[in-house]
Amino acid sequence: MTAIAAFTAVTLVACGSDAAETPEKPTGPVTIKVWAWYPEFQGVVDLFNKTHSDIKIEWTNAGTGQDQYTKLQTALKAGKGAPDVAMLELQEIPTFQLTKHLVDLGKYGANDVKGDYVDWAWKQVSTGDQVYAIPVDAGPMAMMYRDDIFSKYGLTVPKTWDEYKAQAEKLKTASAGKSFITDFGANDGGFMTGLMWQAGAQPYSYDIANPTNIGVNVNSAEAKKVIEYWEGMVNGGLADSTAFHTTDFYNGLNTEKYATYLAAGWGPGYIQANAAKSSGKWKVAPLPQWTAGENKQGDWGGSSFAVTDQAKYPDIAAKVAMEIFGAKNTEAWKIGIDKAFLFPTATPVLESADFKNKEYEFFGGQKVNEVFVPAYNAIGPFSWSPFNSYNFNQLTTNLNQAIEKKTSWTAALDTAQENVKTYATQQGFQVQ
Amino acid sequence: MTQVQTRSAAVAPAAAGPTQRRPFFGRAREAATGWLFVLPFAVLLVAFLLLPMAYAFKISLYRSTLIEGEVFAWFDNYQQAIDDPLVREGVLRVLIFGLIQTPVMIGLALLAALLIDAATSRFSRVFRLAAFVPYAVPVVIGTLMWGFLYSKSIGPLAWTGIDFVGSDTVLASLGNIVTWQWAGYNMIVLYAALQGVPKEIYESAKIDGAGQVQIALRIKTPMISSALVLATLFTIMGTLQFFTEPLILQPLNPGAITQHYTPNVYAYNQAFSFQQYNYSAAISFLLGAVVFVGSYIFLFATRKRSALR
Repeated sequence: MTAIAAFTAVTLVACGSDAAETPEKPTGPVTIKVWAWYPEFQGVVDLFNKTHSDIKIEWTNAGTGQDQYTKLQTALKAGKGAPDVAMLELQEIPTFQLTKHLVDLGKYGANDVKGDYVDWAWKQVSTGDQVYAIPVDAGPMAMMYRDDIFSKYGLTVPKTWDEYKAQAEKLKTASAGKSFITDFGANDGGFMTGLMWQAGAQPYSYDIANPTNIGVNVNSAEAKKVIEYWEGMVNGGLADSTAFHTTDFYNGLNTEKYATYLAAGWGPGYIQANAAKSSGKWKVAPLPQWTAGENKQGDWGGSSFAVTDQAKYPDIAAKVAMEIFGAKNTEAWKIGIDKAFLFPTATPVLESADFKNKEYEFFGGQKVNEVFVPAYNAIGPFSWSPFNSYNFNQLTTNLNQAIEKKTSWTAALDTAQENVKTYATQQGFQVQ
Repeated sequence: MTQVQTRSAAVAPAAAGPTQRRPFFGRAREAATGWLFVLPFAVLLVAFLLLPMAYAFKISLYRSTLIEGEVFAWFDNYQQAIDDPLVREGVLRVLIFGLIQTPVMIGLALLAALLIDAATSRFSRVFRLAAFVPYAVPVVIGTLMWGFLYSKSIGPLAWTGIDFVGSDTVLASLGNIVTWQWAGYNMIVLYAALQGVPKEIYESAKIDGAGQVQIALRIKTPMISSALVLATLFTIMGTLQFFTEPLILQPLNPGAITQHYTPNVYAYNQAFSFQQYNYSAAISFLLGAVVFVGSYIFLFATRKRSALR
């Protein structure tokens, strides 16, 4: 299959009018620099290098999330030092696209693999025939729960957020306040946005095709519904508010402090690494719904491979972006799924019997993808702003301060709305 | 300064005098040798301080937006920074922090230096090393380590029930880290100064009937006042640029340690999180000016003690 993809890429380049963008190929293998922080990525890189004689990937882990973006922004601004291919979370694509640092992969055959991805995921990385990144993994959300704590206190698996709250109250009384139903990490903008996404909130209306116009609706009724719910949970002592991804948080998962964790598809990988003692005690159920019987979902995280404008051979870099975790690269996905707990965006991998029927030791042998795959398929469309760092910063800063100072959470959301609007106007956007 | 003045005073008449014996060539060679010695420093100063500063100043005069690109904006960014309540909040915070932390740390460093100086046992050498060790630990590592110690669930002080990174306590917790990290360093500076005090003075003081405490307070401390001023000056400059510790501890409680917690953290986030490089440069330049003025005021106020007239 690599041969076919290579052939397509080459022919497309040959047919394209952008001859200037593709300098002559050197005789030896081309080195492509990749920045990524996927767990267990070394194996995937080795695999790629082993199966390609003409391309050599040079991989660097330049930090997770914002750390990497900071370095990448600086290198792109400086005009050199950026990698050819960079891992970008889906919500970051408009930011990097607006500053015109991403290569349109559509020119290099990316539209040929469009069919391998569900609609919402592809829309996150493209506009029309322009493709800015190849999605790799996604973060469909589900409720991970501690089976041992549930049976110890006689809790039932909640199907709606109302039931969830009822179980939280039951747990608080039964455990004498020692256990919380969950931890609400207000330091993670992606997590909160995922929950708002599920409730139908659309904080931004933005299309890369029309980059100067943006609609800002951070404090929509749907977003407020979610925030008010969690304000009640935290202030009522039902949910904890320790920051996510901290020692205290993982310790809470490891001990019996938290009975559930509202996780994304990639979440178990991090828990396995940081709260190993709880392995085998978890089970997965769908995310509770606002209305009984519905199947509304949101996404938290997930990332893609983009080619930067500093790539010397954009066609070869595009090939790397498409193939390294490509839909047909089953060997790479074996590593990604078995070792790194990645949740693939490519439908051929998702729908493979291996993935669907995989029994996870961490979940006591449960076939958790029976929950995650339907959740993934039910995620609705969503658009991000081209200044996501600021967006997440406003969400987290204002909500964290509201938690810290015990002030109104919805007022914090209103402040975020005002600040984002001011920022967008200052940046020259037409704000609706 | 005094030294430089004396030297130039000594050289000037010789140069102007009619009985000049040394040929011009010799003096030029001497000057060239002098420049040669200064050259490595000068190159580094220009390459890593003056040029970046000039560049930062240049970009601080521009304003770039995501949509409209870069335009020349005169001092708009400075105006915005002065009016920015978040900048003021940060400046106020580091000032309060400095007012409390600086005397505490310098006091501790002085106490430790005096104790080690007075003790002659082998223990003092061990203690000297032990107090200095935190300085040898990189700031990032030290802060991460304290982050674990402050943990509510696994920290050794968890039993106290105190939230060390709550909004009321976090400034003190950060002060503790800074003190831990730098007190030993300052102690070594002060201890080195104490070594330079002639021992005869202590003997004559003893003959006059002074005890150890009196010697420490009335003789040793005033004798090393210029070192004290230097250590305090470095501490003040460090405080105003307070950066690494809040940045590292931030994930523990972003509600208490905000992204505008100190002016430097704010400038960092403006540049690298929000792509506002111009505004960030303006904040940094303003901060530099405040550090300069603050250090100058301190030096001026202590000029009699500092020997830096």
